[in-house]
Amino acid sequence: MVSKTEEDQLIRLENQVENGGGGAWEYLCLVRKLKLRLSDKVFKYGFALLSDPKKRSALGPEEWTLYEQVAIAAMDCQHLDVAKEYIKVLQGKFRESKRVGRLEAILLEAKGRWAEAEKAYSSLLEDNQFDQVIHKRRVAMAKAQGNLSGAIEWLNKYLEIFMADHDAWRELAEIYVSLQMYKQAAFCYEELLLSHPTIPLYHLSYADVLYTLGGVENLHAAKKYYAATIDLTGGKNNRALFGICLCASALAQLTRGRNKDDKENSELQSLSAEALEKAYKQQSPTNVSVLSSALRSLKVSS
Amino acid sequence: MGGESRYEIHQSAYIKLVLHALKHRTSAVNAVLLGRSAAAGVEIVDSVPLFHSQIGLLPPLEIALIMIEEYYGEKGLSIVGYFHANERYDDFELGGVAKNIGDHITRYFPQAALLLLDNKKLESLQKGKDRSPVVQLYNKDASSSWKLVGSDASSQLALKEPSANVVLLDYISSEKWKDIEDFDDHLDDISKDWLNSKLFN
Repeated sequence: MVSKTEEDQLIRLENQVENGGGGAWEYLCLVRKLKLRLSDKVFKYGFALLSDPKKRSALGPEEWTLYEQVAIAAMDCQHLDVAKEYIKVLQGKFRESKRVGRLEAILLEAKGRWAEAEKAYSSLLEDNQFDQVIHKRRVAMAKAQGNLSGAIEWLNKYLEIFMADHDAWRELAEIYVSLQMYKQAAFCYEELLLSHPTIPLYHLSYADVLYTLGGVENLHAAKKYYAATIDLTGGKNNRALFGICLCASALAQLTRGRNKDDKENSELQSLSAEALEKAYKQQSPTNVSVLSSALRSLKVSS
Repeated sequence: MGGESRYEIHQSAYIKLVLHALKHRTSAVNAVLLGRSAAAGVEIVDSVPLFHSQIGLLPPLEIALIMIEEYYGEKGLSIVGYFHANERYDDFELGGVAKNIGDHITRYFPQAALLLLDNKKLESLQKGKDRSPVVQLYNKDASSSWKLVGSDASSQLALKEPSANVVLLDYISSEKWKDIEDFDDHLDDISKDWLNSKLFN
Protein backbone atom coordinates (compact mmCIF):
# COMPACT_ATOMS: atom_id res chain seq x y z
CA MET A 1 0.00 0.00 0.00
CA VAL A 2 1.47 3.27 -1.14
CA SER A 3 0.70 6.61 0.47
CA LYS A 4 -0.29 9.65 -1.57
CA THR A 5 3.02 11.43 -0.84
CA GLU A 6 4.97 8.39 -1.92
CA GLU A 7 2.90 8.12 -5.10
CA ASP A 8 3.47 11.80 -5.89
CA GLN A 9 7.19 11.40 -5.26
CA LEU A 10 7.28 8.47 -7.65
CA ILE A 11 5.49 10.39 -10.39
CA ARG A 12 7.72 13.42 -9.87
CA LEU A 13 10.90 11.32 -10.18
CA GLU A 14 9.52 9.53 -13.23
CA ASN A 15 8.84 12.82 -14.99
CA GLN A 16 12.26 14.08 -14.01
CA VAL A 17 14.00 11.08 -15.53
CA GLU A 18 11.86 11.12 -18.68
CA ASN A 19 12.82 14.74 -19.25
CA GLY A 20 16.52 14.07 -18.89
CA GLY A 21 16.86 15.60 -15.44
CA GLY A 22 18.45 12.56 -13.77
CA GLY A 23 17.08 10.95 -10.62
CA ALA A 24 16.98 7.41 -11.99
CA TRP A 25 18.84 6.00 -8.99
CA GLU A 26 16.43 7.67 -6.51
CA TYR A 27 13.50 6.32 -8.49
CA LEU A 28 14.87 2.79 -8.50
CA CYS A 29 15.58 2.95 -4.75
CA LEU A 30 12.05 4.15 -4.05
CA VAL A 31 10.52 1.37 -6.16
CA ARG A 32 12.67 -1.15 -4.31
CA LYS A 33 11.70 0.27 -0.92
CA LEU A 34 7.97 0.27 -1.72
CA LYS A 35 8.19 -3.17 -3.38
CA LEU A 36 6.28 -1.98 -6.41
CA ARG A 37 5.97 -3.82 -9.68
CA LEU A 38 6.92 -1.23 -12.29
CA SER A 39 9.07 -3.49 -14.38
CA ASP A 40 9.06 -1.61 -17.67
CA LYS A 41 10.29 1.60 -16.02
CA VAL A 42 12.77 -0.22 -13.77
CA PHE A 43 14.16 -2.04 -16.77
CA LYS A 44 14.39 1.10 -18.90
CA TYR A 45 16.13 3.25 -16.29
CA GLY A 46 18.20 0.48 -14.72
CA PHE A 47 19.47 -0.85 -18.04
CA ALA A 48 20.54 2.67 -19.04
CA LEU A 49 22.37 3.14 -15.73
CA LEU A 50 24.13 -0.21 -15.84
CA SER A 51 25.14 0.19 -19.47
CA ASP A 52 27.02 3.39 -18.67
CA PRO A 53 30.40 2.45 -17.10
CA LYS A 54 30.86 5.82 -15.40
CA LYS A 55 27.41 5.80 -13.79
CA ARG A 56 27.87 2.17 -12.83
CA SER A 57 31.12 2.70 -10.97
CA ALA A 58 29.59 5.72 -9.21
CA LEU A 59 27.15 3.31 -7.54
CA GLY A 60 29.88 1.52 -5.62
CA PRO A 61 28.72 -1.62 -3.80
CA GLU A 62 25.07 -0.79 -4.56
CA GLU A 63 25.82 -1.84 -8.13
CA TRP A 64 25.07 -5.47 -7.27
CA THR A 65 21.65 -4.68 -5.73
CA LEU A 66 20.82 -2.85 -8.92
CA TYR A 67 21.87 -5.80 -11.07
CA GLU A 68 19.49 -7.98 -9.10
CA GLN A 69 16.63 -5.49 -9.29
CA VAL A 70 16.99 -4.94 -13.03
CA ALA A 71 17.45 -8.67 -13.72
CA ILE A 72 14.07 -9.34 -12.11
CA ALA A 73 12.46 -6.45 -13.99
CA ALA A 74 14.00 -7.76 -17.22
CA MET A 75 12.47 -11.17 -16.60
CA ASP A 76 9.09 -9.59 -15.95
CA CYS A 77 9.31 -7.85 -19.33
CA GLN A 78 10.62 -10.98 -21.05
CA HIS A 79 14.03 -9.41 -21.84
CA LEU A 80 15.56 -12.75 -20.97
CA ASP A 81 18.94 -12.15 -22.62
CA VAL A 82 19.61 -9.12 -20.48
CA ALA A 83 18.45 -11.00 -17.40
CA LYS A 84 20.79 -13.88 -18.21
CA GLU A 85 23.68 -11.47 -18.69
CA TYR A 86 23.11 -9.73 -15.38
CA ILE A 87 22.76 -13.01 -13.52
CA LYS A 88 26.08 -14.09 -14.98
CA VAL A 89 27.70 -10.88 -13.70
CA LEU A 90 26.31 -11.60 -10.23
CA GLN A 91 27.47 -15.21 -10.41
CA GLY A 92 30.97 -13.96 -11.19
CA LYS A 93 30.99 -11.72 -8.16
CA PHE A 94 29.14 -13.96 -5.68
CA ARG A 95 30.10 -17.54 -6.39
CA GLU A 96 27.98 -20.25 -4.74
CA SER A 97 25.48 -17.65 -3.61
CA LYS A 98 21.98 -18.88 -2.75
CA ARG A 99 20.59 -15.47 -3.59
CA VAL A 100 21.97 -15.74 -7.13
CA GLY A 101 20.75 -19.34 -7.26
CA ARG A 102 17.29 -17.98 -6.60
CA LEU A 103 17.61 -15.64 -9.57
CA GLU A 104 18.63 -18.54 -11.79
CA ALA A 105 15.52 -20.40 -10.73
CA ILE A 106 13.34 -17.35 -11.42
CA LEU A 107 14.89 -17.21 -14.90
CA LEU A 108 13.78 -20.80 -15.47
CA GLU A 109 10.32 -19.70 -14.42
CA ALA A 110 10.40 -16.80 -16.85
CA LYS A 111 11.25 -19.24 -19.62
CA GLY A 112 8.27 -21.39 -18.67
CA ARG A 113 10.46 -24.32 -17.65
CA TRP A 114 8.29 -25.09 -14.66
CA ALA A 115 9.57 -28.53 -13.71
CA GLU A 116 13.21 -27.37 -13.69
CA ALA A 117 12.32 -24.27 -11.70
CA GLU A 118 10.44 -26.40 -9.17
CA LYS A 119 13.47 -28.67 -8.80
CA ALA A 120 15.76 -25.67 -8.29
CA TYR A 121 13.45 -24.21 -5.64
CA SER A 122 13.17 -27.53 -3.80
CA SER A 123 16.91 -27.91 -3.61
CA LEU A 124 17.36 -24.32 -2.45
CA LEU A 125 14.76 -24.91 0.24
CA GLU A 126 16.67 -27.93 1.53
CA ASP A 127 19.41 -25.56 2.66
CA ASN A 128 17.06 -22.93 4.00
CA GLN A 129 13.49 -24.03 4.55
CA PHE A 130 12.51 -20.59 5.80
CA ASP A 131 13.28 -18.66 2.64
CA GLN A 132 10.08 -16.67 2.21
CA VAL A 133 10.87 -15.53 -1.31
CA ILE A 134 11.16 -19.09 -2.59
CA HIS A 135 7.96 -20.20 -0.90
CA LYS A 136 6.20 -17.32 -2.60
CA ARG A 137 7.74 -18.14 -5.97
CA ARG A 138 6.08 -21.54 -5.71
CA VAL A 139 2.71 -19.88 -5.27
CA ALA A 140 3.45 -17.57 -8.19
CA MET A 141 4.41 -20.53 -10.39
CA ALA A 142 1.18 -22.35 -9.59
CA LYS A 143 -0.76 -19.20 -10.38
CA ALA A 144 1.12 -18.64 -13.64
CA GLN A 145 0.24 -22.13 -14.81
CA GLY A 146 -3.40 -21.52 -14.05
CA ASN A 147 -3.34 -23.93 -11.13
CA LEU A 148 -5.26 -21.76 -8.70
CA SER A 149 -6.13 -24.57 -6.30
CA GLY A 150 -2.42 -25.40 -6.16
CA ALA A 151 -1.62 -21.76 -5.50
CA ILE A 152 -4.18 -21.72 -2.68
CA GLU A 153 -2.68 -24.87 -1.17
CA TRP A 154 0.88 -23.52 -1.26
CA LEU A 155 -0.24 -20.17 0.08
CA ASN A 156 -2.10 -21.77 2.97
CA LYS A 157 0.98 -23.85 3.81
CA TYR A 158 3.09 -20.70 3.66
CA LEU A 159 0.73 -18.85 6.00
CA GLU A 160 0.86 -21.67 8.56
CA ILE A 161 4.54 -20.82 8.98
CA PHE A 162 4.54 -17.11 8.22
CA MET A 163 1.18 -16.06 9.59
CA ALA A 164 2.24 -12.46 10.04
CA ASP A 165 2.75 -11.88 6.33
CA HIS A 166 -0.20 -9.60 5.62
CA ASP A 167 0.58 -9.29 1.93
CA ALA A 168 0.21 -13.04 1.64
CA TRP A 169 -3.16 -12.96 3.42
CA ARG A 170 -4.29 -10.28 0.97
CA GLU A 171 -3.06 -12.28 -2.01
CA LEU A 172 -4.96 -15.33 -0.74
CA ALA A 173 -8.10 -13.24 -0.23
CA GLU A 174 -7.85 -11.89 -3.75
CA ILE A 175 -7.46 -15.36 -5.25
CA TYR A 176 -10.53 -16.51 -3.30
CA VAL A 177 -12.53 -13.51 -4.55
CA SER A 178 -11.55 -14.23 -8.15
CA LEU A 179 -12.90 -17.75 -7.68
CA GLN A 180 -16.03 -16.41 -5.94
CA MET A 181 -15.08 -18.25 -2.70
CA TYR A 182 -16.27 -15.36 -0.57
CA LYS A 183 -16.49 -17.15 2.80
CA GLN A 184 -12.85 -18.09 2.54
CA ALA A 185 -11.94 -14.55 1.48
CA ALA A 186 -13.81 -13.26 4.52
CA PHE A 187 -11.71 -15.51 6.75
CA CYS A 188 -8.51 -13.96 5.35
CA TYR A 189 -9.74 -10.45 6.06
CA GLU A 190 -10.76 -11.51 9.56
CA GLU A 191 -7.17 -12.62 10.16
CA LEU A 192 -5.90 -9.31 8.83
CA LEU A 193 -8.32 -7.33 10.99
CA LEU A 194 -7.23 -9.23 14.09
CA SER A 195 -3.60 -8.30 13.58
CA HIS A 196 -4.11 -4.87 12.01
CA PRO A 197 -7.36 -3.41 13.36
CA THR A 198 -6.57 0.15 12.35
CA ILE A 199 -5.96 -0.28 8.64
CA PRO A 200 -9.01 1.09 6.79
CA LEU A 201 -8.33 -0.98 3.66
CA TYR A 202 -8.98 -4.22 5.53
CA HIS A 203 -12.25 -2.96 7.02
CA LEU A 204 -13.33 -1.85 3.55
CA SER A 205 -12.40 -5.09 1.79
CA TYR A 206 -14.07 -7.14 4.52
CA ALA A 207 -17.23 -5.05 4.18
CA ASP A 208 -17.19 -5.54 0.40
CA VAL A 209 -16.91 -9.32 0.82
CA LEU A 210 -19.70 -9.41 3.43
CA TYR A 211 -21.98 -7.41 1.14
CA THR A 212 -21.19 -9.78 -1.71
CA LEU A 213 -22.08 -12.76 0.48
CA GLY A 214 -25.42 -11.10 1.19
CA GLY A 215 -28.16 -11.84 3.65
CA VAL A 216 -29.42 -9.65 6.47
CA GLU A 217 -26.73 -10.52 9.01
CA ASN A 218 -23.87 -10.00 6.60
CA LEU A 219 -25.35 -6.70 5.41
CA HIS A 220 -25.60 -5.43 8.98
CA ALA A 221 -22.01 -6.46 9.58
CA ALA A 222 -20.89 -4.88 6.29
CA LYS A 223 -22.51 -1.62 7.36
CA LYS A 224 -20.48 -1.68 10.59
CA TYR A 225 -17.23 -2.19 8.72
CA TYR A 226 -18.01 0.52 6.17
CA ALA A 227 -18.73 2.79 9.15
CA ALA A 228 -15.40 1.81 10.69
CA THR A 229 -13.66 2.68 7.42
CA ILE A 230 -15.34 6.07 7.36
CA ASP A 231 -14.26 6.60 10.96
CA LEU A 232 -10.65 5.63 10.26
CA THR A 233 -10.41 7.81 7.16
CA GLY A 234 -12.13 10.91 8.51
CA GLY A 235 -15.07 10.45 6.15
CA LYS A 236 -12.92 10.70 3.06
CA ASN A 237 -13.32 7.20 1.70
CA ASN A 238 -15.94 7.35 -1.03
CA ARG A 239 -16.10 3.59 -1.46
CA ALA A 240 -17.19 3.25 2.16
CA LEU A 241 -19.76 6.03 1.83
CA PHE A 242 -21.23 4.28 -1.23
CA GLY A 243 -21.10 1.03 0.73
CA ILE A 244 -23.34 2.45 3.43
CA CYS A 245 -25.88 3.57 0.84
CA LEU A 246 -25.85 0.15 -0.82
CA CYS A 247 -26.25 -1.67 2.51
CA ALA A 248 -29.11 0.56 3.61
CA SER A 249 -30.87 0.01 0.31
CA ALA A 250 -30.37 -3.76 0.32
CA LEU A 251 -31.42 -4.08 3.98
CA ALA A 252 -34.55 -2.04 3.39
CA GLN A 253 -35.48 -4.41 0.58
CA LEU A 254 -34.84 -7.52 2.64
CA THR A 255 -36.49 -6.39 5.87
CA ARG A 256 -39.59 -4.85 4.44
CA GLY A 257 -42.26 -5.14 7.15
CA ARG A 258 -39.82 -5.31 10.07
CA ASN A 259 -39.35 -1.65 10.78
CA LYS A 260 -37.08 -1.72 13.84
CA ASP A 261 -33.89 -0.44 12.28
CA ASP A 262 -35.40 1.85 9.70
CA LYS A 263 -34.72 5.13 11.47
CA GLU A 264 -31.08 4.43 12.18
CA ASN A 265 -30.70 2.92 8.74
CA SER A 266 -32.02 5.89 6.84
CA GLU A 267 -30.16 8.40 9.01
CA LEU A 268 -26.84 6.77 8.27
CA GLN A 269 -27.73 6.53 4.61
CA SER A 270 -28.68 10.23 4.47
CA LEU A 271 -25.45 11.28 6.12
CA SER A 272 -23.40 9.20 3.72
CA ALA A 273 -25.34 10.47 0.72
CA GLU A 274 -24.80 14.03 1.90
CA ALA A 275 -21.08 13.46 2.32
CA LEU A 276 -20.86 11.99 -1.17
CA GLU A 277 -22.73 14.88 -2.73
CA LYS A 278 -20.46 17.34 -0.98
CA ALA A 279 -17.36 15.52 -2.17
CA TYR A 280 -18.60 15.32 -5.74
CA LYS A 281 -19.52 19.03 -5.81
CA GLN A 282 -15.94 19.83 -4.90
CA GLN A 283 -13.97 17.30 -6.88
CA SER A 284 -16.19 15.93 -9.64
CA PRO A 285 -18.80 18.56 -10.52
CA THR A 286 -19.65 17.04 -13.90
CA ASN A 287 -20.86 13.91 -12.12
CA VAL A 288 -23.08 15.60 -9.54
CA SER A 289 -26.40 15.05 -11.31
CA VAL A 290 -25.56 11.43 -12.17
CA LEU A 291 -24.63 10.87 -8.53
CA SER A 292 -27.84 12.44 -7.25
CA SER A 293 -29.99 10.28 -9.52
CA ALA A 294 -28.02 7.21 -8.49
CA LEU A 295 -28.43 7.96 -4.78
CA ARG A 296 -32.13 8.63 -5.31
CA SER A 297 -32.61 5.27 -6.99
CA LEU A 298 -30.95 3.61 -4.00
CA LYS A 299 -33.40 5.29 -1.63
CA VAL A 300 -36.46 4.31 -3.68
CA SER A 301 -36.32 0.75 -2.41
CA SER A 302 -36.82 1.80 1.22
CA MET B 1 -32.97 -15.20 -28.23
CA GLY B 2 -29.25 -14.63 -28.28
CA GLY B 3 -28.24 -16.85 -31.15
CA GLU B 4 -28.62 -14.88 -34.34
CA SER B 5 -27.48 -11.36 -33.52
CA ARG B 6 -25.00 -9.26 -35.36
CA TYR B 7 -22.95 -6.73 -33.44
CA GLU B 8 -21.14 -3.67 -34.66
CA ILE B 9 -18.71 -1.89 -32.37
CA HIS B 10 -17.60 1.70 -32.75
CA GLN B 11 -13.88 2.41 -32.88
CA SER B 12 -13.70 4.48 -29.70
CA ALA B 13 -15.60 1.85 -27.69
CA TYR B 14 -13.33 -0.91 -29.00
CA ILE B 15 -10.05 0.91 -28.48
CA LYS B 16 -10.92 1.84 -24.89
CA LEU B 17 -11.38 -1.84 -24.05
CA VAL B 18 -7.97 -2.87 -25.35
CA LEU B 19 -6.10 0.13 -23.95
CA HIS B 20 -7.60 -0.54 -20.53
CA ALA B 21 -6.39 -4.15 -20.65
CA LEU B 22 -2.93 -2.95 -21.68
CA LYS B 23 -2.74 -0.47 -18.86
CA HIS B 24 -3.25 -3.25 -16.31
CA ARG B 25 -1.33 -6.11 -17.83
CA THR B 26 -0.83 -8.02 -14.61
CA SER B 27 -4.48 -8.25 -13.64
CA ALA B 28 -7.86 -9.13 -15.01
CA VAL B 29 -9.93 -6.17 -16.19
CA ASN B 30 -13.51 -5.66 -17.26
CA ALA B 31 -15.80 -3.13 -18.89
CA VAL B 32 -19.41 -2.64 -19.91
CA LEU B 33 -20.61 -2.03 -23.43
CA LEU B 34 -23.18 0.65 -24.15
CA GLY B 35 -25.37 0.79 -27.20
CA ARG B 36 -28.76 0.16 -28.72
CA SER B 37 -30.70 -2.28 -30.84
CA ALA B 38 -30.60 -1.39 -34.51
CA ALA B 39 -32.23 -2.82 -37.61
CA ALA B 40 -29.21 -4.94 -38.45
CA GLY B 41 -28.56 -6.13 -34.91
CA VAL B 42 -26.88 -4.41 -31.96
CA GLU B 43 -24.81 -1.27 -32.21
CA ILE B 44 -22.11 -0.95 -29.54
CA VAL B 45 -21.54 2.77 -29.36
CA ASP B 46 -19.42 3.22 -26.28
CA SER B 47 -17.71 1.36 -23.46
CA VAL B 48 -16.82 2.13 -19.86
CA PRO B 49 -13.75 0.42 -18.39
CA LEU B 50 -14.71 -0.75 -14.92
CA PHE B 51 -12.14 -2.44 -12.68
CA HIS B 52 -8.65 -3.85 -12.50
CA SER B 53 -8.74 -5.29 -8.99
CA GLN B 54 -11.04 -7.57 -6.97
CA ILE B 55 -13.41 -7.90 -9.88
CA GLY B 56 -15.55 -10.46 -8.05
CA LEU B 57 -16.84 -8.00 -5.45
CA LEU B 58 -20.37 -6.67 -5.76
CA PRO B 59 -20.44 -3.19 -4.19
CA PRO B 60 -18.17 -1.36 -6.67
CA LEU B 61 -19.89 -3.15 -9.56
CA GLU B 62 -23.38 -2.17 -8.37
CA ILE B 63 -22.41 1.46 -7.97
CA ALA B 64 -20.77 1.55 -11.37
CA LEU B 65 -23.80 0.00 -13.08
CA ILE B 66 -26.22 2.41 -11.40
CA MET B 67 -24.20 5.47 -12.35
CA ILE B 68 -23.57 4.21 -15.87
CA GLU B 69 -27.25 3.50 -16.45
CA GLU B 70 -28.20 6.95 -15.13
CA TYR B 71 -25.71 8.70 -17.39
CA TYR B 72 -26.30 6.76 -20.59
CA GLY B 73 -30.05 6.36 -20.07
CA GLU B 74 -30.42 10.06 -20.79
CA LYS B 75 -28.60 9.57 -24.07
CA GLY B 76 -30.90 6.76 -25.13
CA LEU B 77 -28.23 4.10 -24.68
CA SER B 78 -28.31 1.06 -22.46
CA ILE B 79 -25.92 -1.66 -21.32
CA VAL B 80 -25.74 -4.15 -24.18
CA GLY B 81 -22.76 -6.23 -23.21
CA TYR B 82 -19.73 -6.96 -21.09
CA PHE B 83 -16.01 -7.20 -21.76
CA HIS B 84 -13.52 -9.25 -19.76
CA ALA B 85 -9.78 -9.76 -20.03
CA ASN B 86 -8.27 -12.61 -18.03
CA GLU B 87 -5.21 -12.18 -15.85
CA ARG B 88 -3.09 -14.70 -17.72
CA TYR B 89 -1.98 -14.50 -21.34
CA ASP B 90 -2.99 -18.04 -22.25
CA ASP B 91 -6.23 -18.20 -20.30
CA PHE B 92 -9.14 -18.50 -22.73
CA GLU B 93 -11.67 -19.65 -20.20
CA LEU B 94 -14.77 -17.66 -19.44
CA GLY B 95 -14.66 -17.52 -15.64
CA GLY B 96 -17.48 -17.55 -13.12
CA VAL B 97 -17.40 -13.83 -12.43
CA ALA B 98 -17.62 -12.94 -16.13
CA LYS B 99 -20.51 -15.35 -16.64
CA ASN B 100 -22.40 -14.01 -13.61
CA ILE B 101 -22.07 -10.42 -14.75
CA GLY B 102 -23.04 -11.47 -18.26
CA ASP B 103 -26.11 -13.25 -16.88
CA HIS B 104 -27.16 -10.15 -15.00
CA ILE B 105 -26.85 -7.97 -18.10
CA THR B 106 -28.73 -10.50 -20.22
CA ARG B 107 -31.69 -10.24 -17.87
CA TYR B 108 -32.20 -6.67 -19.02
CA PHE B 109 -30.90 -7.05 -22.58
CA PRO B 110 -31.36 -10.59 -23.86
CA GLN B 111 -29.02 -10.28 -26.86
CA ALA B 112 -26.14 -9.11 -24.67
CA ALA B 113 -22.68 -9.74 -26.05
CA LEU B 114 -19.91 -11.07 -23.83
CA LEU B 115 -16.46 -10.26 -25.16
CA LEU B 116 -13.27 -11.94 -23.99
CA LEU B 117 -9.90 -10.42 -24.90
CA ASP B 118 -7.93 -12.66 -27.25
CA ASN B 119 -4.31 -12.06 -26.20
CA LYS B 120 -2.83 -14.11 -28.99
CA LYS B 121 -4.75 -12.10 -31.59
CA LEU B 122 -3.69 -8.87 -29.91
CA GLU B 123 -0.06 -9.94 -30.00
CA SER B 124 -0.13 -10.83 -33.68
CA LEU B 125 -1.87 -7.59 -34.59
CA GLN B 126 1.51 -6.01 -35.25
CA LYS B 127 2.37 -8.58 -37.86
CA GLY B 128 -0.81 -8.92 -39.86
CA LYS B 129 -3.44 -6.75 -41.44
CA ASP B 130 -6.26 -8.33 -39.47
CA ARG B 131 -9.37 -6.20 -39.58
CA SER B 132 -11.36 -8.24 -37.09
CA PRO B 133 -11.56 -7.27 -33.43
CA VAL B 134 -9.07 -8.89 -31.03
CA VAL B 135 -11.80 -10.39 -28.90
CA GLN B 136 -13.83 -13.57 -28.71
CA LEU B 137 -17.60 -13.19 -28.79
CA TYR B 138 -19.90 -15.18 -26.53
CA ASN B 139 -23.67 -15.38 -26.69
CA LYS B 140 -26.23 -17.07 -24.52
CA ASP B 141 -27.71 -19.98 -26.40
CA ALA B 142 -31.12 -21.62 -26.09
CA SER B 143 -30.01 -23.67 -23.10
CA SER B 144 -28.93 -20.47 -21.30
CA SER B 145 -25.24 -21.22 -21.27
CA TRP B 146 -22.55 -18.99 -22.70
CA LYS B 147 -21.28 -20.22 -26.01
CA LEU B 148 -18.28 -19.09 -28.03
CA VAL B 149 -19.32 -17.77 -31.41
CA GLY B 150 -17.13 -18.95 -34.27
CA SER B 151 -16.35 -16.62 -37.13
CA ASP B 152 -18.57 -18.58 -39.51
CA ALA B 153 -21.64 -18.38 -37.30
CA SER B 154 -24.41 -15.98 -38.10
CA SER B 155 -23.61 -14.05 -34.94
CA GLN B 156 -20.73 -11.79 -35.65
CA LEU B 157 -18.89 -8.87 -34.18
CA ALA B 158 -17.62 -6.37 -36.69
CA LEU B 159 -15.64 -3.20 -36.30
CA LYS B 160 -17.65 -0.26 -37.57
CA GLU B 161 -14.58 1.55 -38.89
CA PRO B 162 -12.43 -0.88 -40.91
CA SER B 163 -9.21 0.87 -39.93
CA ALA B 164 -9.86 0.58 -36.20
CA ASN B 165 -6.98 -1.85 -35.67
CA VAL B 166 -4.59 0.51 -37.42
CA VAL B 167 -5.64 3.32 -35.11
CA LEU B 168 -5.33 0.94 -32.16
CA LEU B 169 -1.77 0.00 -33.09
CA ASP B 170 -0.93 3.66 -33.35
CA TYR B 171 -2.24 4.32 -29.84
CA ILE B 172 -0.38 1.31 -28.51
CA SER B 173 2.93 2.55 -29.83
CA SER B 174 2.33 5.98 -28.34
CA GLU B 175 1.48 4.31 -24.97
CA LYS B 176 -1.93 5.96 -24.95
CA TRP B 177 -3.14 3.47 -22.35
CA LYS B 178 -1.54 5.61 -19.68
CA ASP B 179 -4.38 8.11 -20.07
CA ILE B 180 -7.23 5.66 -19.62
CA GLU B 181 -9.20 5.96 -16.38
CA ASP B 182 -11.58 3.31 -15.12
CA PHE B 183 -14.21 3.13 -12.41
CA ASP B 184 -11.68 1.76 -9.92
CA ASP B 185 -9.60 4.90 -10.46
CA HIS B 186 -12.71 7.03 -10.04
CA LEU B 187 -13.71 5.39 -6.76
CA ASP B 188 -10.19 5.95 -5.43
CA ASP B 189 -10.16 9.57 -6.62
CA ILE B 190 -13.47 10.97 -7.82
CA SER B 191 -11.77 13.66 -9.85
CA LYS B 192 -10.76 10.92 -12.32
CA ASP B 193 -13.06 10.84 -15.32
CA TRP B 194 -14.53 7.36 -15.83
CA LEU B 195 -16.11 8.60 -19.04
CA ASN B 196 -12.68 9.25 -20.53
CA SER B 197 -14.27 12.19 -22.35
CA LYS B 198 -10.94 13.80 -23.20
CA LEU B 199 -9.16 10.63 -24.25
CA PHE B 200 -9.48 10.92 -28.01
CA ASN B 201 -9.36 14.68 -28.42
